[in-house]
Order: sequence, then C-alpha cells, then structure tokens
Amino acid sequence: MIRIEKLGKTFRVGEGKTNTVLRDINLEVPKGCLYGLIGPGAAGKSVLLKMLTGLLRPDVGRIVIDDVDVTQSSEIALQDLRKRIGFLFQNYALFDSMTVADNIAFPLRRLIDPPEAEVQARVVERLKAVALAGFGDRLPAGLSGGQKKRVGVARATITNAPIVLYDEPAAGLDPVTSQKIFELLRAEQQASGATVIMVSSDLDRMLTVTDRVGMMHQGRLIFDGTTAEAQASTNPYVRQFVHGLVDGPL
Amino acid sequence: MTEAVRNPRLHALGAASIELAEIVGGMGVLLARILVRIHKFDGEELVKNLYKMAVKSLPIVAVTALFTGAIMVIQAAVIVKRFNAEGLLGWGAGFGTLREIAPLLTALMISGRVGANNTAELGTMVVTEQIDALRVLAIDPIAFLIVPRFIAILATLVMMTLFADALALFGAAYTGQGLLGVEPMTFFNGLTGGLLDFGDVFNGLFKSFVFAFVMALASCHFGLATKGGAPGVGRAVNASVVASAAGIFVLDYLVSFLG
Repeated sequence: MIRIEKLGKTFRVGEGKTNTVLRDINLEVPKGCLYGLIGPGAAGKSVLLKMLTGLLRPDVGRIVIDDVDVTQSSEIALQDLRKRIGFLFQNYALFDSMTVADNIAFPLRRLIDPPEAEVQARVVERLKAVALAGFGDRLPAGLSGGQKKRVGVARATITNAPIVLYDEPAAGLDPVTSQKIFELLRAEQQASGATVIMVSSDLDRMLTVTDRVGMMHQGRLIFDGTTAEAQASTNPYVRQFVHGLVDGPL
Repeated sequence: MTEAVRNPRLHALGAASIELAEIVGGMGVLLARILVRIHKFDGEELVKNLYKMAVKSLPIVAVTALFTGAIMVIQAAVIVKRFNAEGLLGWGAGFGTLREIAPLLTALMISGRVGANNTAELGTMVVTEQIDALRVLAIDPIAFLIVPRFIAILATLVMMTLFADALALFGAAYTGQGLLGVEPMTFFNGLTGGLLDFGDVFNGLFKSFVFAFVMALASCHFGLATKGGAPGVGRAVNASVVASAAGIFVLDYLVSFLG
C-alpha cells in the first residue's frame, strides 16, 4: 500500500521566485493495483514519482510505503525500501559506460547477485520481452530514443520488484510497440502482483491496462477513481483530457 | 532598502562570497562523505578508473616529461658552458625536476586530462539522471562512483610523477649529451653525488599527493554539483579546471615554503 498525505512541494526558481509543483496531494494506491497518473505537462507527476522513492523531499506532508515513512527516512534507511522498487526514468537514465546487457543486469547483480548464468538468461529474456533481442552488446549511445526507453523498461522490471514506478514507459515508441509494452507491463504486474504507478501521456493505450487513474492539474490531484469512472467523468478537466477534446478548461 | 541592494558592488561582493562559501563548504561535506566511505569502495570501479586515468595518461605524461627534461638542459646550457660546470648539470636538472617541475607539470597535465574528464563524466551523469538511477537502485553513488575516482586520482598522480621524474631526467641526460657533450654518466654522477637525496624525490611526491587531493576533490565536487543540462556540464568542467589549477599553484607555494 502506498499512502500519500497532504503532500506539498515548492521549488525556488530564481531570486525571490518560486514554483509550487505539488499542492495538498492525498492518495492511496492499494497493493497490487496498476495506477495510471495522468495530466498535462508540468502538472507535477514526475516530481511525485521521484518523491515516492525519496529522490526528492516534500516541504509538507508524508508518504508511507508498506509502513515505511519515506519522507522521514534517512538516505541509508531508504536503501532497504529502494531495493523493493523498480523505476523507469522519463529520460531513461541508462549508464553510458555500460552495454545494454550490463545496464539491464545491473540491478540484478547489485541487489540479488544470482549465479551469472541466471543473470545472462534473465537479460536475454528481458531483451526479448521488449523486442530488443540481439541488442545486448550495444552501448546506449547507439540506440534510438524508443530503444533506450525499452532498455529502461527491461532494467526496471528485471528484479520483479513488488513496487514499480514508470515515468512515460511508452514515450517515443510507435503505436504497435507502445501497445505491446503496456500489455507486457500489465501481464507482468498481474503475474507478480506488484503495485505499479505509471505516468503516461499515451492515454488511449494506458487506460486499457490500468485499474485506477488519478489526474493532476497545476500540482493538485483533481481526480482519483477507477479507469471506467475516469472515462465517464463529468469533471470538465478530466473529460477534456481523457477524451482529447480541444474545447474545455485546459 | 538595505545598503547591499542600493550598492551593486556590495551586492556582487556578497554574492561572490556566498558562492565561494558554498564551494568550500560543498567540498568539505564531500570530503567528509568520502572519508566515511573510504573503506567500502567498489574494487571493480577502482581498477577501471586506474586504467582510464593512469594507463591512458602514460603517453602524454611521457611526452611532457621528456621535453621538460630537455628544456631544463637547454635553459641551463648557457650558464653551464660559461662556467664549465658540466659536473653540476645532473644536480641542477635533478633538483628542479624532482622538487618542482615534474610534480607541477604532471599535475597540470593530469588536471587537464583526468580532472576535466572526471568532472564532465560526473556532470553528464547528474544531468542525465544516472546518479539518481544509482540511488533508486539502492546504490550509494559516493561509495560506488566517487571514492574509487578519488583514490584513482591520488594514485595516478603520484605514480605519474614518479614516472615523469625518471623520464625527465632521461630526457635531460641525453639532451645534455647532444647539446653540451656531457656524458650521461657525468650527468648521473652529478645527480647522485650527494647534493640530492631521496628527500628531494619525496618532496616532489608529497607535492603531487597534495595536488592530487585538491584536483580529485574539485573535479568530483564540481561534477556532482552540475546543474542546467549540457551548458551546465561545460561550466562545471571550466570551474573544476580553474579551481584545480589555482589550488595547485597555491599549495605548491605553501609546500615549497614550508618544505
């Protein structure tokens, strides 16, 4: 269970200037739920994901994950929690100096350290799952944006972490690969029972796999409900965003 | 309205003082974090960095050292000839090389090659969220990335200085033979005739250790403090090279003065 209470964050953006990116966020994501976080750009979605791992600290409020208060934990105390979290960064964050295979194997070697043959087998399986079989020896610099994203997905999922956070898992992918990735993530989430929070702008595809959806706008969580409720919502912001309407308050 | 706001110069002075305090404080905090984790560095990263920093620096250090030794003799040639002081050529070249020129020039070369590269790598890792990715993977970036680099820079500069000492003297000896007709054995006798001892070698090595310390700290600090994408990486590299060079000269003065 992930519980967020009265979360707020303001950044200083220059001399005397501030930018409030999160305002009074309250949210509960049940265990085993695939939660989709939607909203226009700069709504605070990526900041919220980073706060869940303790990469950013809120100014007010707290985040509790499986009884661990992320907001109060030290960096060392957070390491135990982070071992149970898979994370896909919006800009991939692949290690430049490592090959694709080493990037994917890195969390497995570092956090679990199984026999090398098992690592290799798991890497091959992950590469196949994200349609990158045979790309293991390449360096990230030699990949397209979409390919890097898929390597990031493979790295985030290799340890079968019980909590997985995806920041735009399908950005830069063609429609077919995008749908395959969402179906892969859904299948794996169902198989492992992991709690997943996913930020994506590709609503048409994401909403086919989510259990619940939250919409953020200007730092506030303005909607939280099931996917069906989001699609049927009469909230003008949600309605416009989910259905991609030109006319509306956004 | 405060005096600082009314007076732009006072405001600029205050801002510069705060910036300097942030840099010095940041380096102090980083040093403390490195020292706390010095025993749990990643061995594989250390070997990788030693290869990248030390082994790959050998050619440029070799060229620098050989020509430095040769230049020492060229500069001394007029005086040596005028006073027929061929016997002192080894001492003169050795004294300047071991205590000053080899540690200083090697440090500047390594600062340009290794320090700048280290800052650029770390800065790029910061702006592309690779450091955050390590943290999310429950890996301490200081123990995994910084401590091996810190140790590798210390080891690299001390080893490279020793290497440069030998090559510079070699270059000096054979330039002395070609330019002044001083036999290498005469040069060697001047070097080992009692006017120089291992204390002079250790003095140079101590300097190189001090230079490496400031270079490692500056390059890691400015790399980790990078902000603002690719232009930010450029600014970080620039700041790191300037801080390292300034630190090297100031510390050279202090160590020379005290030693």
